[in-house]
Amino acid sequence: MDLTINEKRVLARLAEMKSADAAALAEKLNAPADSVVQWAHLCADRDLAVLEKNVAETAVLTEEGKKYAAAGLPERQVLASMQGPTPMGELTKHPLSKIAIGWLRKKNWIAIDKGVVTAAANVPEGEDEVALKHPVAGTAGCKELVKRGLAEIVETVSWTISITPAGADIAAAGLDLREEVGTLSREQIVSGEWKNLPLRRYSVDKLPKKIYGGRVHPNQQILDEIRALLFEMGFTEFHGSIVQNAFWNFDSLYQPQDHPAREMQDTFHLAEEIDLPEGWEKIRDIHMTGGDTGSTGWGGAWSPEVARKCVLRTHSTSLSIQHLAKNPNPPVKAFSISRVYRRETIDPTHLPEFEQLEGIVMDKDLTFGHLLCFFKEFFGRMGFESVRFRPGYFPYTEPSVEPEVWVDGLGWVELGGAGVFRKEVTAPWGIDCPVLAWGLGVSRVSMLRMGLKDLRQLYRSDIDWIRATPVRRV
Amino acid sequence: MPVVKLNNAYLERLTKTDIKTIRDNLPMMGSEVEREEEEQTDVQFFPNRPDLYSAEGTARAMRGYLGIETGLPTYAVKPSGISFTVDPKRATIRPYLGSAVIRNVHMDNAMIESLMGLQESLHWAVGRGRKKVAIGVHDLDRIEGPFSYVAAERSTTFVPLDYDIPMTMDQILAEHPKGKAYAKIVEDLPLFPLIHDAKGRVCSFPPIINGELTRVTEDTRNILLDVTGIEPRAVMVAVNIICTAMVEMGATIESVDVDGSTTPTLAPTERTVSVAACNALVGIAVTAEEMKGLLERMRFDAEVLDADRVRVTIPCYRADIMHDHDIYEDVAIAYGYDKIPASLPPTFTVGKPHPVQEIYSLVRGILVGMSYIENTPFTLTSERVSYAMMNRPENPAALHVLHPISEDQTIIRTDILPMLMESLSLNRSRELPQRIFACGDVVESLVTYPKMAAASIHTVADFSEIYAVVDAFCRMAGLSYEVRESEDPAFLDGRRGDVYVAGKKVGVFGEISPDVLVAFGLEHPVAAFEMDLSDLL
Repeated sequence: MDLTINEKRVLARLAEMKSADAAALAEKLNAPADSVVQWAHLCADRDLAVLEKNVAETAVLTEEGKKYAAAGLPERQVLASMQGPTPMGELTKHPLSKIAIGWLRKKNWIAIDKGVVTAAANVPEGEDEVALKHPVAGTAGCKELVKRGLAEIVETVSWTISITPAGADIAAAGLDLREEVGTLSREQIVSGEWKNLPLRRYSVDKLPKKIYGGRVHPNQQILDEIRALLFEMGFTEFHGSIVQNAFWNFDSLYQPQDHPAREMQDTFHLAEEIDLPEGWEKIRDIHMTGGDTGSTGWGGAWSPEVARKCVLRTHSTSLSIQHLAKNPNPPVKAFSISRVYRRETIDPTHLPEFEQLEGIVMDKDLTFGHLLCFFKEFFGRMGFESVRFRPGYFPYTEPSVEPEVWVDGLGWVELGGAGVFRKEVTAPWGIDCPVLAWGLGVSRVSMLRMGLKDLRQLYRSDIDWIRATPVRRV
Repeated sequence: MPVVKLNNAYLERLTKTDIKTIRDNLPMMGSEVEREEEEQTDVQFFPNRPDLYSAEGTARAMRGYLGIETGLPTYAVKPSGISFTVDPKRATIRPYLGSAVIRNVHMDNAMIESLMGLQESLHWAVGRGRKKVAIGVHDLDRIEGPFSYVAAERSTTFVPLDYDIPMTMDQILAEHPKGKAYAKIVEDLPLFPLIHDAKGRVCSFPPIINGELTRVTEDTRNILLDVTGIEPRAVMVAVNIICTAMVEMGATIESVDVDGSTTPTLAPTERTVSVAACNALVGIAVTAEEMKGLLERMRFDAEVLDADRVRVTIPCYRADIMHDHDIYEDVAIAYGYDKIPASLPPTFTVGKPHPVQEIYSLVRGILVGMSYIENTPFTLTSERVSYAMMNRPENPAALHVLHPISEDQTIIRTDILPMLMESLSLNRSRELPQRIFACGDVVESLVTYPKMAAASIHTVADFSEIYAVVDAFCRMAGLSYEVRESEDPAFLDGRRGDVYVAGKKVGVFGEISPDVLVAFGLEHPVAAFEMDLSDLL
C-alpha cells in the first residue's frame, strides 16, 4: 500500500495509543491538529483508521451579556433602584428603563396602577440570572439569554481517531518513517542512491497549476493557415502602403469620382496628396469616354486633383491593381491579406479596420468558370463545403459574383466578392489577359471559425480568451 | 445599396407567377432578399441596376428570367404637344432637364408607393442624393403648359408640398424638412432652379421640393415628369426608368419638347457582340442561337448575324451596359452561374511569402519562444494614447484622418507600444504575469513600414528582464546591436536604453515610467521594448 510519510507517522503513533484525541495525537506528532485530521482521513479512506467526530456546544456571553453579568440584568438593576411606589414618568428616567420595563412586566416583578409602579417583594434570582453567572449550553436559562442576544452557542469539533485492525497489522509489519524525497539531487542521481530512497509519490488526481505558454494570436493563426493554403496553390504574396491616393484606391478601379463609397462618410480621407503615376491620362479618358477599350465610360468630368487626394485604403484591390501594373505579363498568381479601412462606428459587427484577403490570377485563356471552381476549392480547403454563387456587382469586375457558404445555424453567408477585372481596369496597364480577382472578409471567416459574436475580440483581445483558445481547432 | 420594398400581391400580378417562385429566383438574378413578410418582400438590388428598383422593373426582368415573357420590351412614345422653355441662366446652376408626359394613370395605393419608392431609390443611386439628378412628378391636370425651367430669385414664394402657406425659397431651405435636408446642394447658388407653368404657378423647386399644387394622388390621371441635374446621361437614365416603369403600370408616354429637343424617345440602343469572346470570358460553349435565347431572357433583343456575331438591342432603361462584357455577364446570369463548367485555373506558378510577412513570422517565432502572447491591435489610434499618455511629444510625421469618427481614432499609429499599453490596461484584472507582443505596419509621413513591440507586466518586471529579451531577440534575429543610454520619456531615467544597429537607432527598451503606468491605470511595473524592423528587410 502506497502510504505517504504523514499517513505512516499517524499509524505508527496510533499503534501505540490505539485511540486518541486529535489534539493529543497532534502534540505527539508535533504537527497542527487540522493537518493530523487530514492525514487521518487519508488513513480512514484506506480503512486503516476510524474517525469519530465530537461536537461540543459551549455557551459564551456576548459583549452585552458580559456587561450584565457584572451589574445584573437591566430589569434587576431598575427594580433595585426603586424606593417604594414610583410614578411611571419617574421610572422612565432610568437609563435602562426602555429595556427593563417590558421585562419587569413580563416577569410580573411590578404592578402598575393609575400610572404608579409598585415593585413586588422579594424577587428571587431567575434561571436566566443563574445562567448569566454560569452559562451552560442547553439549560433553559441559557436559551433565554441566547434569545435576548446576551449569549451565543459555539460549536467545537473534536476528533477521536482510532486505529483499525488492518491499520494495526500494517503498523505491526513495520513502517518506514524516513523523510520522503521530492526533487532528486544531482548526487542522488549520479550515485544511484535514489534507488534506496523513499521517493514521494504524486497523485495524478490532483490537477496541476495552469500555465500559459507564448502563442500566436488565434486570428493570426487563421490568417497564417489561409496564407499556407495559398502558397500551396502557387500564389505569391504582395504587401503595400496603408495610405493610397484616390487614383489607386478608386479611379484605377473604374469607380466614378462621384461614387458614394468615395464620400467622406464612408472613407477616411487625409489632407496629403500623392502624384499620379505615368499614364494617368488613360484612366481619365476611360472614365470620361471609355478611351480605346470599347467602353462608353461613365461620362461627365474627371479631375486629377480629386485623384491625387489620399485615403486610407478601403480595400486591398488597390494593392492588386498596382501589383498587376508592375507585372503586366502572364502568368500572375498573387494575394495579400491587408488591413483595410472603412469609416464605421465600432460595434460588435462593424469596425473601422479589419483584414481583407485579395487574390488575383492572370493568364491567357482563363475564364469566369475557372474563378468559380477556384472558389469552391479554396472554401472547401477552409472547411466550408457547400458553396453557391450569386451574381454580384463591383465597379471593377464583369462578370461579378458573390460567393456564399453554408453555415449551420446561419444559412447562406456571404463571404466576399469576385469577378473578372473589366477591360477599363486592365487595358491601361497593357494587360491583355483575363484577370480573375477575388476579395474575402477574412475577419468574418475568423469569427465563423472561432464562433465569435463580437468582432472587437480580434483586435482588443481579452488575454484570458487568447490563453483559453486552443491552438488546434477541431 | 437601396432596399426596395415590393408589395407581394402587386408583384405577383405583374410577374404572373407566385411569390415563392419570385423569391427563390431573385438572388440568382443578382439581388439579396433582405426580409420576407406576409404582404411585402424587401430586396436589396445592386447600384448598377436602378431599373430594378420598383415592382414594375423587377417584374419585367423576372418575367424574362423565368421565360414568361422574353425579348425587348417596346415603348411607344407620341408627342404631347407640350413644351418647356429653358432659361439660359439656369446653365450655371443646374443645367440639364428631362421631361415626359405620362397619361392614362390609374394608380392604387400600391402603385403610388412603388412610384415614390422608385423615386427615392433613384435619388440615391443615380442622383447621388439629388445632387446629380432630382426627380419631380406633378398632376398635369392642375397646371397648364408651356412650362418654364428658370433660374429664379431666392425670394420667389410658393406653397411647398405638405405646407399650406407660401414660403420664399430661402425660407424653405431654412424651415422645410426637405429644404434643410438638401440645402447644401443649392445654398451657395446666386439664383435657384424653379419650374413654373404658363400662368406662373410654381410646380417645383428642384432638387429640393415640389409645390403642394401639383401633389400626385390616387385621383391623378395625367402626370408631368421633370428630371433636373448636372449630368445629361444620368438625367435621361432617370427619365427612362420612371417612364418605362409607368408603362408597366398601364400608362402611356408622351414626349415633351425641351428647348427644341424631344424627350424622352425611350429608344433602344444596339451593340454587336462576339459569341467566341463571350464563351472565352465566361467559360461556356454556347452557339449564337443559344446566346440569342439567353439574351432574350434578360430582356434584350438579339439577332444572329453569323456564327460569331450577334446584334443586341438594349432597352433604354439599362444604364449599366457600358461594354460588351456587361452583355456577357447577362448571358452568364441567364445561363446560371451554378451550371458553368468548373475546372481549376491551369496556371502553374510557385508561391512565396512577401519579405515583410516573413519578418513578421520570424518575430512571432522568436517572441512566442520566449513565452510572449501575440496581440493584433488596431492601427487607428489617437494622439492622446500614442503620445500624451506615453509621456512623449507628438510625432509631426503622424497622419491625421480628416473626419475622424471618434476621439479614439484620429491618427494612424506611428508606434505599437502604446497599443500594448492599452491592451495591458484592458486586461488589468487578469492573472499576472502577462507578457504580450505585436508586430505590424505603422505609418510616418506617407511611408508604411514594419515595427514590433513587446511588454511584460508583473510584480517584479524590470530593466534586466527586458534587456535580456532584447538581447535574445537581436541574437535570434541575427542583428548585431549596441545599446546606449536613452532619453525616451516613456521610460524611467536610468532604466532605459536605445538599441542601435549599424550606427542607426532602431529601438528602445526599459522600465515604463510610473507616470505612464498610472495614465493607463496600471499598478505594477512594466518592462517593454519596441523596434523598427525595416533593417531586417
